[in-house]
Parts: sequence; C-alpha cells; structure tokens
Amino acid sequence: MAQYLLLLYQDPKWMQNLSPEEMQKAVEKYTAWMKKSFTKGGQRLSGPGKVMRPGEGKPRVVDGPYSETKEALGGYYLIEAASEEEAVTLTMDHPHLEYGGTIEVRHVFGT
Amino acid sequence: MKEETGELLEHLFRQISGRLTGHVTRLLGPARLDLAEEIVQESMLRALETWPYQGTPENPAGWLFRTARNRAMDLLRHESMAERKHAQEGPAAVTVEPPDFEDDAQIRDDELRMIFMCCHPEIARDARVALSLKIAGGFSVREIARAFLTEEATIAQRLVRAKRQIREKGLGLEMPRGADLAGRMEAALEVLYFVFNEGYAAHEGEDLVRRDLCVEALRLGLALAESEVARPELHALVAMMALQAARLPARVDALGDLVLLEDQDSSKWDRELIGLGFHHFDLSIAGDEVSEYHLQAAIAAAHVRGAGGAADWEMILEQYDRLWEMSGWSPVVALNRAVAVGKVRGAEEALAALDGLERDAPMRQYHLFLAARGHFLRELGRREEAARCYRAALECRCSEPERRLLRRKLGECEVS
Repeated sequence: MAQYLLLLYQDPKWMQNLSPEEMQKAVEKYTAWMKKSFTKGGQRLSGPGKVMRPGEGKPRVVDGPYSETKEALGGYYLIEAASEEEAVTLTMDHPHLEYGGTIEVRHVFGT
Repeated sequence: MKEETGELLEHLFRQISGRLTGHVTRLLGPARLDLAEEIVQESMLRALETWPYQGTPENPAGWLFRTARNRAMDLLRHESMAERKHAQEGPAAVTVEPPDFEDDAQIRDDELRMIFMCCHPEIARDARVALSLKIAGGFSVREIARAFLTEEATIAQRLVRAKRQIREKGLGLEMPRGADLAGRMEAALEVLYFVFNEGYAAHEGEDLVRRDLCVEALRLGLALAESEVARPELHALVAMMALQAARLPARVDALGDLVLLEDQDSSKWDRELIGLGFHHFDLSIAGDEVSEYHLQAAIAAAHVRGAGGAADWEMILEQYDRLWEMSGWSPVVALNRAVAVGKVRGAEEALAALDGLERDAPMRQYHLFLAARGHFLRELGRREEAARCYRAALECRCSEPERRLLRRKLGECEVS
C-alpha cells in the first residue's frame, strides 16, 4: 500500500478564541481521526523554527515562516492509501478542514 | 470518577479550567486573575496543538495541570530573580512549593476558594454570576452570553467590573470560616440557585448550553457539599438541583415537545441523580433551621416520590404555603402555589389564588401565569376565557417547545 504524507497548515492564531469546551471538542475530533485504521502516525512540529537560505559567504538564517506567512506548518500525518485519489477521499472529513486549516496531500515516492 | 481509556471525560476542559485557574491564582495572587486565566488558556492551547498528533496523554488532567503550573512557576522564578537583581543581593523572595497533581485535596481546596471568591457578596450579583461561570465554570464569554440571552459586550463588562472589585476591595482566596461563613455561603448559594434556574427554566430558544448551566450549578454545589464547609441549606440546594435535574430527560418527548410533570415517563428519570438528591436531602435535615432551599427540596422530593401522578399534593401545598411566606410573598412562588391549590382544593380556588396576582404587571405578561389561568378556566368549562388566556400566553416570550404546547392547549379549547 502506498503511503501519503498529509501536511497540516494553519493560522497559528486559529484557536485562540475557542472556549475550553470547544477546545476539548476539537481535540476529540483530531484524536478520533488519528485513530483511524489507515493512519500510520503523525508528529506535531513546533514553531516558529528557523529558515535557512544561501547567502553571501555563509547561509542566511532567519526566524521561521510564521512572520512571513499567515499559515504555518503545524504537523503531519502519514496514511496508507491505494491511490492519491483514495488518499484525498480518506482525508475529506479531517477536522483540520472544518477548523479552517489547509492540508497538503503528498505521495511518499517509492511506496 | 469514571475513567475511560483514551477518551476524554465529558466537559473535562471546562471543568478542570476552574480548578487550574484556582490553583494558578493562588500562586500568582488574586489581583492577577487575568494572568492566571491566560496561563490556563495557554496550557489548553498547548494540548490542542500537541494531542492531535501525539495522542491524548494517559492522565489528561495531570498534563494540563503540570503545563499550567510550570508556566506559573517559571513566571514567579523570573520575577523573583528580577527582584533580587533589583534589590542587589537582598534576601531571596519566598518560593512557593507547588503540590503534586496527585495531591487532589489541595486542588479541590483551590477550587472551593475560587468559588467563594467569585461569589463574594462584595461583588454585584450579576457580575458574581458571570464571574463564577467564567472562572469557576470554565464557560467562555460567548457561551455565557448565549445562555443568558445577552450581548457578549454586556457579559464582558460585568467581568471587568467584577475583577476590578476584586482588586480594589482586595478580595482574596481565603476559605471563609466561623461567623464569616454563613454570609459567604449564602452569597454562593444565591449564585448557584440563580444559574440552575436560568438553565432549568429556558423560556426562550432551544440551546443546549442552557442545560449545561444546570449541570454546572449542580457540579459546583456538589464540590462545596463534599467539603468541610458544607451546611444544611447547601445540602438542601444540592438535593433540589439533583432531584429537578433528574427529571430533565423526561421533560421533552421524542418530537421535542414539552411533557407536563404528571404525564412524564418516570422510567426516563435519572436514577443516579435521584439517589444523589435523596442522599443530600437526608443530610439537609441536620440542624434546626429551615431555609427556602429546604422547602424547595421537599417539593422536588415529593414530585419524584409521586411518580406516575401520585404526588402528595397536600404536603406540596403545605410547603408552598411556607415558602410563599418565607419568600416575602414572591409572585413566582404564588404562581406555583396556585397550581398546588388547584390540585388540592379544585380549580375554583386556584383561580381565586391567581386573581391576587393580576395586580402584578410582569405576571400579566408571563406565559406560565396565563397558561395556568387557561388551564383552570378550561377545567371549569369556561372555554372561551381559557382560549383567550392561551392566546395571550402565545404573545409572550417563551421557548419553542412551550409554544407548541400552548398551541395544542389552545386547539383543545377551540375544537370541543
């Protein structure tokens, strides 16, 4: 079975206005999705991190993408699916989309 | 406490937020309530960022507690370092040793102190209610506004006012004792009673948040009732709330229509809550003072005992008589009493009792008053007058299920 990486982007401020009850609902929805049989794991990426680019003489290092983009990479999941189409279908009901986030679906080459 | 593996307890975040805020506020001082709230909110955000990937930790409450406590401790350490630098090698600031999360008694104690501070009689009542729900209850401003059918800005203002009063009057997290306790307890009971009734009455809309008000009032009441400061009238209030809440599942039928008490299917009543209610009812009997809450609890108990339409109405009327007097002849109590009068002495007398309420202007626009009049008029065969009452009732503010019930009653008057 082929593997697909789901990259989850979101506005870092998206959840600041949620009440404790709403936060709990969100946590429950995400963890329920993670427990589905086709998910093979996932990790949170903490921000803001650093971005490195080639520079004059030595690479230029700047603070992570938070300051430049409204949406930052918040974490990823690895799932198994027969095709890209199926991967998209399986991801259709991911709560991240309900909460205004963006998901990038990428095939892990060679799987 | 129920422990379900991997699943979060219902309302865990909301319920633990009060305890966490209580604890952090004790570390930082009541004047910094805003900061304490922020820290608690932050620890929940951290959970929301982490748990979706790492999974829910084994002890979610402990995780949240440690995250919030560590943040508060960092802050204090930082401050004490800055202070020492400022005082140049002066004595070290007093360090606060935080308890382990396992020290449940301490956390419960923090929560109780928090409830008492939010319900302080020095704070205006509407602000006290909003503050208790926000801080001790973990509701958001939006949720409180929705539950009370008010604007968010209004609730936000009340919270600002309440917090200012805490700062200016130097209200603290002390546990009320001795002579102080009675007054502080009374103020707390008033808040819980108000919150519960607001949720129970639900005269507008069909929002579930309102039901959550009942659950929260009962939860906070239980937290107090299980502590050493428990008093008979507190047990009475908890008994009343539990016995009334037990009947909530039977109050609405499958179509979402209201079911009157005598038609309720008592097998749908919550047995656990009934048991809890009677337990606290027994505890409320200690001492020789009879409060309004005692009478309310006795009435709620009589309704539960009288499942299937066999309630002891003579006894209920007797309690209402006492309650009416004790309440300073409250019109709302008088209305409920009139219903009991009708059960014991018939419709004629009930109408006479209701006539006395006609003078009260808000009553004349209260749908339940008009519906009660309609009910007794119809019993006496005065259908046209009854129909007029139901029509007037339909003009008033009321919830959708109530509206449907009123329409049905009106239809019955018009048809036959």
